Amino acid sequence: MSYTSIMHMLLIEDDTQTASFIQKGLAESGHVADHADNGEDGYHMALTGQYDVLIVDRMLPKKSGLEVIKELREQKIKTPVLILSALGDVDDRVEGLRAGGDDYLVKPYAFSELLARLQALVRRASPAQELTLLRVHDLQMDLIKHSVTRAGQVIHLQPREFTLLEYLMRHADEVVTRTMLLENVWDYHFDPQTNVIDVHISRLRSKIDRDFTPPLLHTVRGAGYSLHAS
Amino acid sequence: MRLRLINTTAFRLSLIYALVFSLISACAFSFIYWKSANEIRAQTDSQLKAETTNLLGLYQNGQITALTQEMNQLNTDGRWKFFIYALLNRSQRDLIKEIEPNRELKVGDRVFATLPLRTFITVPDSDESELNDSNKEQLNQDARVLLTLLPDGFQMVVGSDLYERQALLKRILNVILSLVLVVFTLALFVGALIGYSVLRRINNVRQTAIEIVQGDLSQRMQVTDKNDEFDRLNLVVNTMLSRIEHLMQTMHQVTDNLAHDLRNPLNRLRNRLDVSLIQNLDRAGYQQVQQESIQDIDDIILTFNSLLNIAQAESGKHDRDWVAIDLKPFIEELAELYSIAAEEAGIAFTSSVSQSCLILGENQLLAQTFTNLLDNAMKFTPKGGSIEVSARLAGSSAIIEISDSGPGIPEDKREEVFERFTRLDSARSTPGNGLGLSLVRAVVERHQGSIQLKDNNPGLRVVLKFNIHTPKIKKATSN
Repeated sequence: MSYTSIMHMLLIEDDTQTASFIQKGLAESGHVADHADNGEDGYHMALTGQYDVLIVDRMLPKKSGLEVIKELREQKIKTPVLILSALGDVDDRVEGLRAGGDDYLVKPYAFSELLARLQALVRRASPAQELTLLRVHDLQMDLIKHSVTRAGQVIHLQPREFTLLEYLMRHADEVVTRTMLLENVWDYHFDPQTNVIDVHISRLRSKIDRDFTPPLLHTVRGAGYSLHAS
Repeated sequence: MRLRLINTTAFRLSLIYALVFSLISACAFSFIYWKSANEIRAQTDSQLKAETTNLLGLYQNGQITALTQEMNQLNTDGRWKFFIYALLNRSQRDLIKEIEPNRELKVGDRVFATLPLRTFITVPDSDESELNDSNKEQLNQDARVLLTLLPDGFQMVVGSDLYERQALLKRILNVILSLVLVVFTLALFVGALIGYSVLRRINNVRQTAIEIVQGDLSQRMQVTDKNDEFDRLNLVVNTMLSRIEHLMQTMHQVTDNLAHDLRNPLNRLRNRLDVSLIQNLDRAGYQQVQQESIQDIDDIILTFNSLLNIAQAESGKHDRDWVAIDLKPFIEELAELYSIAAEEAGIAFTSSVSQSCLILGENQLLAQTFTNLLDNAMKFTPKGGSIEVSARLAGSSAIIEISDSGPGIPEDKREEVFERFTRLDSARSTPGNGLGLSLVRAVVERHQGSIQLKDNNPGLRVVLKFNIHTPKIKKATSN
């Protein structure tokens, strides 16, 4: 799957204005999103299993978002689900993930954040055998030997830098936001004011990119970072 | 009121108690009555026996005439008024036959009986008309008699007038009846009194509850110094009310703050957009306005989230998510996250955690607390300065210090900075919403910790203190 591959998704959201914003935004990025404005319709549309990813609002008429997800999981529909919610508590997040959601995004959110998370979800859902070797262009990570090489040269990384690079390599060709990195690499579910992520990225970049061409670790303005060759 | 009193459980119980108690005392008194009636009769009988034996002695000595003489004298003698003596010939009236018709009697046999007086006292007809009613009635009274069969067809009668005794028993009966009545009335009265006092206390609770429902949350249940069930119940209810009141106040404060502090940035955003409508902007200009607007909105969201976080930390909503946290890896991870940023900013960053120690808390909230403090340190420490993080054990407390070499906080402002939206003049030019330290304090207090701001000469030294947690080792159970 490439950075720009088309995603076919279903948006279950009762607020039509929000839905149309999201649909427009996704269309701009080259994706297709169907829309259902209540839980009942959404559930039946999702039952076909034809979507790459579902975006489900928590509070929906007829059937709540969590009910939709639970019932889909009971029907063995494994399509990844991103929960959108105005409830941002740790408890609510845990509840959502327990119901069968794969990721949780609290309103209000930046559109770039939504898109990045959707891409990460679709990637995760595609058949991923246990990888022992990650490769992006001439950058290689051996997960068993715990070593990184670029163009044959060994690169020494701190443990945290290794985890950071691993996450980036697993999501190569996708945009990864700062919040996603904080959540997945550091397990902090809040944003510090200091630009700590930027500093870690630039430190990592100096190790994997400075003495090599082409640059692999790119900054995506207003969104986050992306690891890719071209 | 009367109806309500009857409806109280206490009153109904006391009514039942009164009935039961009266019944029991009635039984006890009846027994006493029966016992004393028997006793009195036995006493009379033995007295009759003694008299009869006396007279029989006379009879043995001096034949029937001596007996008759003695009897006549005794009957007229006032001292012996208690007993009545008579000698009847069986041919005149065979009393023994009347009383014991089926028994073959021999001379010397005795028979006890209860008979009306007139049976053996004869009054001449002429005299009878002169008798007044009470005397007539007296003749109809019962008497206890002992009949003894003498030779020659005589029956000796020694009788005792039962009038006095029956009157006594009647009086006893009356006393018993009134006693039972008094017991019943008293029990009922006391029951009503108890019921009323219970009712009054419940009414107090009800009254207070009504006032609370009507909106006066400062009302509290009355607690007396009796320390009875009501007091203990009221104490618990009062604790609950205090908690509710505190939560309500927190909520009010949050909504007030939200209203106040979101209006300003919302207004700024609105103005920015208004102005962009009036101005003739080129494409780049519009994009600039859009960027700034998005930044404004992000700031608003941040403020909003911070306020909610503070409110949640204060309300203890996350208390059930508490886990044991080892401070060593916890602080080292945060230090690692910030050390590189500090290095980039030309600040010397050192951290030292002497040993592992556990504290209880909510992981994310505590992490956010420390990042807020580290953010502040990063913000105010100039290039070439230093930041130092340390954690150590002191008795049963873990002490964490975050020191910087920035401008510090003047001593008189060290309390003020914890208030929401406080921004010191020296911080006006830096980003922030004045909520960071408010969250820190809310979280620390929620974790039963303490926070102190001290002078680092120069700079600020934040000293946090938490109780260390000693996990209980679960004993292996046999089942």
